[in-house]
Amino acid sequence: MNDQRLYSSFFEICLALVVILPWLSGLVCLILPENRSRIARVLAVVLMGLSATAAFFIFISCWNNTPYTHQWNWFSIASHQFSVGLYLDNLAAIMLLMVNLISFLVHVYSIGYMARDDQQGRYFAMLGFFTFSMLGIVLADNLLLIFIFWELVGFSSYALIGHWFEKEAAAAAAKKAFLFNRIGDLGFLIGLMLLWTNTETFNIDQLRNLGEVFSWQTAASLCIFCGVAGKSAQFPLLTWLPDAMEGPTPVSALIHAATMVAAGVFLLARVDFLFTDSSLNVVIVAGAITALLAALAALVQYDLKKILAYSTISQLGLMVTAFGSHAADVAVLHLFTHAFFKACLFLSAGLIIHAMHEAHHEASVHSDVQDIRNLGGLRKRLPFTFVACVVSGAALAGLPFTAGFLSKDAILTSITVWKGDDFSWRWLVLLSTFIVSFITVLYTFRLIWFVFMGKERSTAAMTVQEPPIIMRLPVAFLVACSAWLIIAWNPVDYAGWLYSSLHEGENSHINWMPFLSGGWVLLACTTAYFLFRNGNQYQSELLLNNFYLDRVYHASIGKPLMHLIRITNYLDRTVIDGTIHLAAYGHVAFAHGLQWIDRFIVDGVVNGAASAARGVGLLTRSLQGGKIQVYILSAVMAILIFLLWTLLW
Amino acid sequence: MSLTSIMFYFFALVAALSAISMVFVKNVFYGALLLIVCLLSVAGIYVLAFAEFVAVVQILIYAGGILVVIIFGIMLTSRIAGKPLLVQHANKFLGLLVSGVMFVLLVYLFSQQSFTHTSLPPQPEKQIGKIGVGLITDFVLPFEIAGVLLLAALIGASVLASTMKSNRE
Amino acid sequence: MVPVEHILYLAALLLTAGLAIVIVKRNAIMVLLGIELMLNASNLNLIAFNRLQPDKIDGQMFSLFVIVVAVCEAAVGLAIVLRVYKMYQTSVPDEVTELKD
Repeated sequence: MNDQRLYSSFFEICLALVVILPWLSGLVCLILPENRSRIARVLAVVLMGLSATAAFFIFISCWNNTPYTHQWNWFSIASHQFSVGLYLDNLAAIMLLMVNLISFLVHVYSIGYMARDDQQGRYFAMLGFFTFSMLGIVLADNLLLIFIFWELVGFSSYALIGHWFEKEAAAAAAKKAFLFNRIGDLGFLIGLMLLWTNTETFNIDQLRNLGEVFSWQTAASLCIFCGVAGKSAQFPLLTWLPDAMEGPTPVSALIHAATMVAAGVFLLARVDFLFTDSSLNVVIVAGAITALLAALAALVQYDLKKILAYSTISQLGLMVTAFGSHAADVAVLHLFTHAFFKACLFLSAGLIIHAMHEAHHEASVHSDVQDIRNLGGLRKRLPFTFVACVVSGAALAGLPFTAGFLSKDAILTSITVWKGDDFSWRWLVLLSTFIVSFITVLYTFRLIWFVFMGKERSTAAMTVQEPPIIMRLPVAFLVACSAWLIIAWNPVDYAGWLYSSLHEGENSHINWMPFLSGGWVLLACTTAYFLFRNGNQYQSELLLNNFYLDRVYHASIGKPLMHLIRITNYLDRTVIDGTIHLAAYGHVAFAHGLQWIDRFIVDGVVNGAASAARGVGLLTRSLQGGKIQVYILSAVMAILIFLLWTLLW
Repeated sequence: MSLTSIMFYFFALVAALSAISMVFVKNVFYGALLLIVCLLSVAGIYVLAFAEFVAVVQILIYAGGILVVIIFGIMLTSRIAGKPLLVQHANKFLGLLVSGVMFVLLVYLFSQQSFTHTSLPPQPEKQIGKIGVGLITDFVLPFEIAGVLLLAALIGASVLASTMKSNRE
Repeated sequence: MVPVEHILYLAALLLTAGLAIVIVKRNAIMVLLGIELMLNASNLNLIAFNRLQPDKIDGQMFSLFVIVVAVCEAAVGLAIVLRVYKMYQTSVPDEVTELKD
């Protein structure tokens, strides 16, 4: 392919379509009333299909080409310009394709899965809106824009998890997801502020070309990692993801397996130049802890979707570990492969759930269909689902000839390279990664064994059918994508066409790594077989409740916060409201005082003057009382005074 | 101290006392009687001042005419027959004050003056003849006018009193 | 002989007593009596001054006419008092307040 191919206008049209069509589908589905939901559904699928096609064209044009940029002016404060812009390099192109493709497959699947739901318009609208927000993150060229779409993605996740908000568990789970996201975003925002203070730009290209490494970068990058921890469910913000399984299964597949949680890893890859050695150490430790904790928890869960949720957390931990070992491209590689096989696993789980629901509906029986203790021996009833689960489960476990094998290989290689030759704490990270991959095989095997093998437990008397074709087609496509071909032509070398384009520089390849990891996985398989062969359930309350992390959070943060809330409420009611009441009473009292003054003093003066005048008037009037003798007296007095005055003076 | 002086001071004392008690007495009849006493003593003083005709006229007309008429009036205006007519006093303080001040003033003024004191002629002449002649010659105008005045007063009083019965409003 | 001033003092006393009676008493007849007393006081004054000029009779003549006038006035005054008494049923001058403002 040429390096300097110009971008045609057809490319730009495709780009516009890619962004606008999901948004349009969301808007249309929102506006249409519920009784026209059939039109909404079909329209949503068609629009997403067009968007996915356009994405494919863009991918082909953009791959291994100079990055495509375009900017519009947004606003300016003082002398700073803020712009809205697109940045399409290899990373963005591959993410674009993946997001659109999986979103389209989930749309198709949802038509079948949500056929009985009565709020389908809202569902498809939020799906479209989510896709649009995710594309915003992928295509944006500055961190501020990424942050905006970050928030929108969080909101879409909230809306989709709480799609059945009448169920209290679903509403609570949606709230929890949003809250944990927000806590992470606080760190993200602080990181952005640090970044702005020191560089005065948000543009990724400009940031990349800063040159030297600064001291503030550690703090800024760790703060941005907080946002990643919130979005991608890293330790300690990981408890929201298992609860988010309350949402519909296609939502879990799209958001919580393939795309949204991967947004965190994508962001890491975008700003990997900001991370210094010390911040990378913190990142890798967090990732390793996450991977180990989640894997252990997944081992004893008995809810079908919760196993997959913990598995997702564990795999994300692996991606972050890979990133922490100075290999961002390996993280993106695993992200890519994980998206396909995890989505496939979730959709197959959805197939099982759907089939069980239909069977229960016919038999008028109600039980928890997601509990694997109730399932068993379904391979005869659901053969297609069985094959799908086995293949994608193999990819998750990292069996050879799958895509998962190659990406796990890459992770192990990069950690081995990173740890160096001296004995240090880094060997522990490598060890924990090996343990995690071991446990991954264990719980995957457990899942498949308990659901499909053995005797049927509760479904023996029911008629169980495969779900309709419209749901099986996307699963089939995803199964195909779990094969090794999507990464490299060589099933043992992960540095295929995908990786080489992402990675600059020399590939570090360890020849013996594929064989080591392959042997390790097979060992794990046989162990699992012997462990679970007899249907033993290994119980552990600690692992079942995710190490009681939720309870710890509630006690350490929740309770003091509630206490603080009570205190502030009390203060507000008594002090602040009391002050206002006091002011009001004082005002009224003052008014009364004024009234008193007005009545007694002001009016008193006026009335007093009036009565004084009246009194004087009465006094002078009394001389004219009609009394003759008083007249005589007055006359005599006047004469007397006159006489006294004149004669004696 | 000649006899005339003693008699004068006696009559003066009687007149003064009766006049002053007239101020304080509450019974109207007693007041009229006291006035008769006063007038009689004033007539006595007249005699001592060699004005016999005036003294007689005073007794005849004042004490005998006017006071009798006044006593008639008292009888006619007393509301309850048989009971004595008692009066209230009004403006007592101011009235007495004014009178007192006037008296003091008058006394003071009189005391400032010195009157030429002539001695009396050894024999009193016949006053009454002089008075008669004077009425016709020097004082004929006041005499006639006094007559007219009396006539007018007579008619007026008669008119005023006579319509008492016919006009009852 | 008695100095003239003493007669004048007596006359002044009679005058002020009559004035007091006129002001203080709340009876029309008493007021008339007071007036008579005042006229008598002026008569006494005239006679006293007449004593200073024994060859003249002016003082006596004057006092005769004063008596005449006093008679007229007393007659008419009494008629008025009787009329007022008939009309207002009272002989207290303070209660006849038709001239009141």
